[in-house]
Amino acid sequence: MVDLATILAGLGDAFSPINLLFVLGGVVLGQFVGALPGIGPVMAMAIAIPFTFVLDPLPAIAFLIGVNKGGLVGGAIPAVLINTPGTPDAAATALDGYPLSKRGKPLKATKMALYASVTGDTFSDIVLITVAAPLAVVALKTGPVEILALMIFAFSIIAGLVGDSIVKGVIATALGILCATIGLDPEHSTPRLYFGFFELYDGLPLAAVAIGMLVVAEILRRLAAMQGEMRPPLPRKDTQVAADRRVSLAEYWGCRFTMLRGAAIGTVLGALPGIGSTAAGFMSYAAAKQASKDPESFGKGNIHGIAATESANSAVVGANLIPLLTLGIPGSVSAALIISAFMIQGIQPGPLLFEQQGRLIYGLFGAMIMANLVNFWVGQLGLRFWVRVVRAPESIVFSTALLLCIVGVFMSTGGLFGVSIMLIAAAVGYVMHAFGYSVIIFIIAFFLGSRFELSLSQAMVILDGKPARLIEHPVALGLLLLALLSIYWLGVRAPRKQRQRNANG
Amino acid sequence: MSANRLSGLFVSLFGLALFFIVIPFDTEAVDYGWVRPATVPSAAAVVLTIAGAVLAIAPSGTTDLSRREFGRAGIYLALAASAVFLLQHLDFLIVAPAFALILMLLIGERRPLWLILGAGAGPGLIWFAATQLLGRPLP
Repeated sequence: MVDLATILAGLGDAFSPINLLFVLGGVVLGQFVGALPGIGPVMAMAIAIPFTFVLDPLPAIAFLIGVNKGGLVGGAIPAVLINTPGTPDAAATALDGYPLSKRGKPLKATKMALYASVTGDTFSDIVLITVAAPLAVVALKTGPVEILALMIFAFSIIAGLVGDSIVKGVIATALGILCATIGLDPEHSTPRLYFGFFELYDGLPLAAVAIGMLVVAEILRRLAAMQGEMRPPLPRKDTQVAADRRVSLAEYWGCRFTMLRGAAIGTVLGALPGIGSTAAGFMSYAAAKQASKDPESFGKGNIHGIAATESANSAVVGANLIPLLTLGIPGSVSAALIISAFMIQGIQPGPLLFEQQGRLIYGLFGAMIMANLVNFWVGQLGLRFWVRVVRAPESIVFSTALLLCIVGVFMSTGGLFGVSIMLIAAAVGYVMHAFGYSVIIFIIAFFLGSRFELSLSQAMVILDGKPARLIEHPVALGLLLLALLSIYWLGVRAPRKQRQRNANG
Repeated sequence: MSANRLSGLFVSLFGLALFFIVIPFDTEAVDYGWVRPATVPSAAAVVLTIAGAVLAIAPSGTTDLSRREFGRAGIYLALAASAVFLLQHLDFLIVAPAFALILMLLIGERRPLWLILGAGAGPGLIWFAATQLLGRPLP
C-alpha cells in the first residue's frame, strides 16, 4: 500500500501553481472545444497528447484530465442552445435542455448542466480515490494467466456492447490486435509485418493511429456530410429575468436524489469496460423519468432531466480510470487516450502504478478534484463566452483542427512518416465507420494488443503450453467462462430476442 | 449483395491473404517458445477469416454508406495528403495557409474575414505555439 507521506507528497504536487495552471488550461480548452459542435473532448485530448510530450508526467496527464472534464461540461452547451450536442455524451441533455432553452431559459439550463456535471464528476472521483488503491492490491495478486483471461473478458464485453453487431465487434478487436503486432515481437524481439519501413520497428505510432482514427476520420465524416452550407448564426436573446438566469439553491437541492442516482449509474457503468457515458446519460434519464411524480414534464424542459443526464455522463470520467489504474485496461476511448499519454511518458498503467508511481497517482487524484473546482468556476464565468463559441464557423474549426493534427503527429513521431500513417489510419477509420465497425473497439484493442501478446506468452509458459492446466487458475477459468457467456448473451441471445420483438411488431 | 455481406467477404479474404501470404512472407520464422512471432498475427487472421465469413453468411449491424460522401471525403483526404507531400519540400508557413484556404473554400466558406482568420491567424498561431512556445521544429 502507498504510505501517507507519498499520498501527501502527491497531493502537494497536484496543488502546485504550475500544475494548477495546466489544469486550468485543460479545463478552459475542454470547455471551449466541447462548446464547438463537432469537436468533442476525445478529439481535443487526441490532438493535445503530442503537445504534452514536453511536460512532466503529472502536468501532462492533469492537463488531459482537465480537457476531458471540461469537454463534458462544454458539450452540454450546444445541446441546450441549438439541440446539437457538442459531444455524443450530451445527446440526452438536449432532450430537456433544448426545450428549456426554447422557453427562454438557456442560462438556467446550461447552469443546471454545469452544476450536475460537477456534482456527478466529484462523486465518481471520490469513489475512484476510495476504491482504486485496495483494488490495485487485489490486482497485484493476479498473475499473467488471470490478466490474459481478464483482457479476453474485457474484449468480449466491449465487442458485445459497443456497436450493433458482435461479429463486427470481434472483427474490430482482431484488427486492433493485428495492428498492434506490427514491429518487434515482445518475446523474441524479431521484426515482423514492417514491409521494409524501418520506422515501423517500434510498431505503429500510437498518437498517429489514435489521432487519425478518432479525429481526422471524424473531421472527414463531418466535412463530407456538409453540403456547402454554413451554420446559420445563433439568435441571441438577452431578455431573461434574473430568476431564469440562475439555478437557485432550492432548485439544486430539489435535484439531489436525481443527481445522486445519475452519479451512481455513471460510476457503475464507467467502471465497466465498453459502456460509455452516452449510455449512462440515457439510462439515468430513463431512471429519473420513471422515478418522477411528473414524468409527462420530461422532454418539455424539466431541469431534473438535465441533472440526471449530466451527472451520469460526467460520473463516467472518474470511474473509467478504475480499470485503467488498477488493471491497466481502458474501459473507454478517453481512458485509452490517457493510457497512451502514460505510455508516451514511459509509465506502464496497471496495479504496479500504485507501488512504483504512488506519488504521481495521488497527484493525479488531487488534480482531478482540483479540475472539478476549476470546471465549476470556469463554467460559471465562461458560460456567456461559450455561448458565442457555439456560433464559430465549422470551416475555421475543421481547417485549424486538421492542421493541429498534422503538426501534433509530426511533433510526436518526429517526421512526416507518422503523418502519413495518420492519414492512412483516418481512411481506414472512415471506411470502418461507414461499414459499421467500431473504431472505439479497434483503438482499445490496438492499445492493449502488445500487453495481450506478452500476457499470452507468459501465460503459456506458466501453463506449460497445456490449456488443461487452467483448472489450477480458477479465477482465470471463471473469467474465460464469463467471456463465453457474454458472447452468447450479447451476440446470440439479445439479437434473437430483438428479432422476435421486431417480428411481433 | 448488401454492404454487410460485401464487407464480410472482404474481411474474410483479407484474413486469408494475411494468413497464407502476408504473415509468412513478412514474419521471421522462430522455432522455439510457445508464442512465436507469427502466432498472434496468425490467430488474428484466423479470427478475421471466420468472423468475416459469418458476417457474409448472416449479415448483422447497420452501415452508413453514401457514394457522394465517400467521394467528398476522398477529396478532403487527397487534399490533406497533398499538403503532407508538399511539406516535404516547402516550409510550413507556405503550405499550411494554402491548405487551410483551399479547405475552407471547398467547405463553402466565402466570408472574407473568416477566410483570412482561418488561412492566416490559424496556421500562424499553430506555428507560434509549436516553434516558439514548445521549441519544436516544424517542416
